[in-house]
Amino acid sequence: MEFAIDIRDMTVAYRDKPVLWDVDLQVAPGVLIAIVGPNGAGKTTLIKASLGLIKPAAGSVLIHGKPYAQQRKSVAYVPQRGSVDWDFPTDVLDVVTMGLYGKLGWFKRPGKEERVDALKALSQVGMEEFANRQISQLSGGQQQRVFLARALVQNADVYFMDEPFQGVDATTERAIVDLLQNLRKQGKTVAVVHHDLQTVSEYFDEVMLLNVRRIASGPVGSEFTEENLRTTYGGRVAFVSALSAKQTS
Amino acid sequence: MEFISQIFSDYTLRTVALGAMLLGLTAGSLGGFALLRRQSLLGDAISHAALPGIAIAFILTGSKAPLVLLIGAAIAGWIGAALISSVTTRTRIKYDSALGIMLSVFFGFGLVLLTFIQRNPDANQAGLNSFLFGQAAALVERDVLVILGIGALVLFLMNLFWKEFKLLSFDPDFTGTLGFPVPMLDRLLTTLFVVAIVIGLQTVGVVLMSTMIVAPAAAARQWTDKLGVMIVLSGIFGAVSGVSGAMVSSWIPGLPTGPMIVLIVSGIVFFSLLLAPNRGLLFRRLREWKAGKELRIEAVLVDLYTLASQHPSAEYPHSERVLDVMSTMTGPAKKTLRVLNDLGLARPIDSPIGR
Amino acid sequence: MKPTLSVLLGLLLLAGCQSGSNKSERGPVSSDAPIRVVATTSMIADLVRVIGQPYVSVEGLMGPNVDPHLYKASEGDVRLMSAADVVIYSGLHLEGKMVDIFEQMESRNLEVHALAASFAPSDLLESSYFAGNHDPHFWFDVSLWGKAASTVAAILATFDPLHATQYAENLNRYEALLQTTDAEIRTLVNQIPQEMRVLVTSHDAFGYFGRAYGVEVKGLQGLSTATEAGTADVQELAAFVAERKIPAIFIESSISPRGIEAVREAVRAKGFDVQIGGTLYGDALGSPGSNADTYVGMVLANAQTLVSGLASDSNLGQ
Repeated sequence: MEFAIDIRDMTVAYRDKPVLWDVDLQVAPGVLIAIVGPNGAGKTTLIKASLGLIKPAAGSVLIHGKPYAQQRKSVAYVPQRGSVDWDFPTDVLDVVTMGLYGKLGWFKRPGKEERVDALKALSQVGMEEFANRQISQLSGGQQQRVFLARALVQNADVYFMDEPFQGVDATTERAIVDLLQNLRKQGKTVAVVHHDLQTVSEYFDEVMLLNVRRIASGPVGSEFTEENLRTTYGGRVAFVSALSAKQTS
Repeated sequence: MEFISQIFSDYTLRTVALGAMLLGLTAGSLGGFALLRRQSLLGDAISHAALPGIAIAFILTGSKAPLVLLIGAAIAGWIGAALISSVTTRTRIKYDSALGIMLSVFFGFGLVLLTFIQRNPDANQAGLNSFLFGQAAALVERDVLVILGIGALVLFLMNLFWKEFKLLSFDPDFTGTLGFPVPMLDRLLTTLFVVAIVIGLQTVGVVLMSTMIVAPAAAARQWTDKLGVMIVLSGIFGAVSGVSGAMVSSWIPGLPTGPMIVLIVSGIVFFSLLLAPNRGLLFRRLREWKAGKELRIEAVLVDLYTLASQHPSAEYPHSERVLDVMSTMTGPAKKTLRVLNDLGLARPIDSPIGR
Repeated sequence: MKPTLSVLLGLLLLAGCQSGSNKSERGPVSSDAPIRVVATTSMIADLVRVIGQPYVSVEGLMGPNVDPHLYKASEGDVRLMSAADVVIYSGLHLEGKMVDIFEQMESRNLEVHALAASFAPSDLLESSYFAGNHDPHFWFDVSLWGKAASTVAAILATFDPLHATQYAENLNRYEALLQTTDAEIRTLVNQIPQEMRVLVTSHDAFGYFGRAYGVEVKGLQGLSTATEAGTADVQELAAFVAERKIPAIFIESSISPRGIEAVREAVRAKGFDVQIGGTLYGDALGSPGSNADTYVGMVLANAQTLVSGLASDSNLGQ
């Protein structure tokens, strides 16, 4: 079976300190996988290194059997909300349209067709009335939805998302979950860096526990265990038993 | 009014105004992108980093031809910008520290080279050290043509790569995932900065060029939330400052042109920070004050209602002081009560109970 | 860390003390042990060499084509001056960025002398910008330079009374040369038609020349090159040149030519074809080997340039 995401031997060192060490991750198509771990575990680094934004010391990434560099058009990235200055002078529609710049290529400006595609993506996240709103006037949840729309508009097969549930309101959280379910139904693969251990088993099919090294990965049922969590978080997680009890119930 | 027509009829005023306008337009427009990428002071750093380039160009070629010195300045400025970038990515040093370090190191090195040149008895180096400080009033037509040509090229490229630069300025990581070569785009934008600054260096000097990268863009940001409008407005502010500076300097003898331009553009910034609608300081204060007023009206009205609901009749009077105590906001209720009275929502009653 | 730091500081203090100690070792003056003189401008260096030979060894801080208004002394310069027997500078803020250094040295009772002290207030031109300040470019009046030469002879004689006669001899010879030079300049200037005796140049350096030889003088920048000319200044000067139909304007060796070139373009735009008459030596001598590497050579070269620019036949009748 061809993996949708096949990361091997990913190693990233920052000034002689290992941030990621020999990490493998294989994800089958149509799977929603959560990547969890404590702060500084290398979760964002894993995504950035896989997408070529950071130069790894070692490692390879195959998307649907081909190297990532050849598959850019099939991969969409949703970075952390905080990675961008939301005071930038632009509106919602413009940000979503940016997702189409790859398709447009050099120099070509977005036109009517792109506008239609962008509005469609906005309606998928319930933000089409906000198309002309300045992004500085958006709430956290609205910002997250705009970022998601920007990824959706790319019509990718594989999605990498970095903490999309961080700091959003309940409505947005439900909307994002619905979106993920939809993507899965369409056979897309989504890897999500997730901060909330309480919701891992509810929202995701698989989980990867990461703390510089891969501690475990696989179906939530078998891998999201008390023992694995303890190893990953080094005893820093309360309610570990409650969490693992939750998913067995 | 005859003075205004002088702009077209008098060679000096026409040339200086045109040159300053074009420089302001180019640097102002590009400055918009610098501002959004938080690289506004890069202009200052590049201006100062250019000095050793000028000295070395002179040492190597013995020529003071503007083109030779310009190329030297551009190369040195470019290297300085590149070093700032790599120091920031490879070490713990933050961007503003790296900027400060490069600026000082390069400029210091340039001064050492100039002193060395001065000692050489055969050197015909007159005016080399004033290269960086410029003399805007000494612009001639040939200079203006060079500025026009290069400025047009810079603006053309900025327009050509418009969406790429916008993307790069907003979200560089995302830009990379779309397949755009981020380092190359970054270097291209930096090169445009370097070129725009260097053409202005020998005509108007370091201080003016670094001002033109920072100030018009900062002012323009205050007036709009659309990127396109901001860049155009920034260019306009730069151009207007250039022309006005030339005109004022022409009107009053003994006023140097470059510094006048700086004063005018600074005035524009100050005015924009204070008075721009939406983002301007004055308008923000006004909005806050209005919002506060509305809040107080509502609060006092609610308090009055609460008091009245504890008695059988709404006519039951209460002393003002009670309202003062009830309200959790600072300030007496007197003024607000007057407003409510005007609105017909509350009525003062003379009562033996006391006011 | 601490002991190394104190050792370092100790060494620095010691190094600081060194520079003052050389002078007390001064022995009798001879041509093998000459008076060590440090002069600021190349003109002064030339003057001291002429008056003091063969008993002086002169080090000039500023080479040819160096602008004394903007010259910043380096650490090496300061050490040189501290170690010298005598330091001679021009004064009246010509060496604008070294004023503090001179004040400091004077307070330390070093042998520091300003040539400007040779002059009575009536000799000097007052600055039109700042009352109480004077135009420092006195050397363009050859007779004033003669007074400065006497001052140099007096300084050297005081320091080295043994050879006072030699210095007096050198002075007499030089004064004779200056007199001939002064006359030559007058002859040259008189070749210029009266109405064209106007010297337009980069900064107000030639006030004394103008007063001494009857030439009207106009500079683009003020007395010091540290100022920046404004658009109005360029316009005024261009209007002046075009109106008076002055055939030539001049650039200076130690200043960027851009200002005067801009004036030229403006004048041409008004329909009058003004030429750049040549390069004048303003605040420094010319390069060694050129015809202007001595004071006398320099003032003569200037006068000749002036004449060829303003009085040449091709320019007459324009």
